[in-house]
Amino acid sequence: MQKIVSIGVLLLLAGCARLDHVQISDIDQSQGTLSPISVKVSEFGVELAVVADVTSRLASNQNTQKYVKELRDILALINMGPRTGNPVYNDNYAENVLEQLYVQCPTGKLTGLRSIREAKSYGPVSGEIVRLDAYCIL
Amino acid sequence: MSRFIIVLASILVLSGCVSLNSVSLTQVPHERNNLINAAAHDWLFLGFTSQNDFVDEAINSLKNQCKGGKLTGILTKHQTTAYVLVFKREVIASGYCHKA
Repeated sequence: MQKIVSIGVLLLLAGCARLDHVQISDIDQSQGTLSPISVKVSEFGVELAVVADVTSRLASNQNTQKYVKELRDILALINMGPRTGNPVYNDNYAENVLEQLYVQCPTGKLTGLRSIREAKSYGPVSGEIVRLDAYCIL
Repeated sequence: MSRFIIVLASILVLSGCVSLNSVSLTQVPHERNNLINAAAHDWLFLGFTSQNDFVDEAINSLKNQCKGGKLTGILTKHQTTAYVLVFKREVIASGYCHKA
């Protein structure tokens, strides 16, 4: 039980920001006053191999430990390869960000778009974030 | 003692390895007279941080250097330099300012 509490506390304290990609677009300050707007969408990401690894360490039964370690190895092999962040189960979560930006900009004139791919990690789980910051020309 | 310091300093200097995380470029203008630059960075110990706010500093710096103008051809680089136990994250941007 103490083990679980310690791991839980460690995971919570390890909440860490990650920055993967930054892109800045043209900034036009000649058309009018700029008002900052922002849209952020996030999806739950999980590294199942790490979850299985933690589970195997917590298991008291040796057979269970062996089984979970095998599962961990299979999961690690499945998820091997180049990627950005933890795997997510919904690859459409960032599709409507532009519409959401326009909702915040009544004039429809956007400039200074910044596309930022980042994440908040809590051990094996994370919030995989896509953020669009921009200026609305008023 | 001095040998130890020299070895330690060499390790620290040689360990600065840069990795380029992302690069982007927007439409480059015909008139490329007024190039402006901006950069922002933060330092992480063991890679721990809770925010990515330093990116905004680069944007504000670009905006301030081209007040009332149009900034195009923006080259953005996001890079990380790893030292011993310490990481430097940087956003470096440059662009052409055109004022009518």
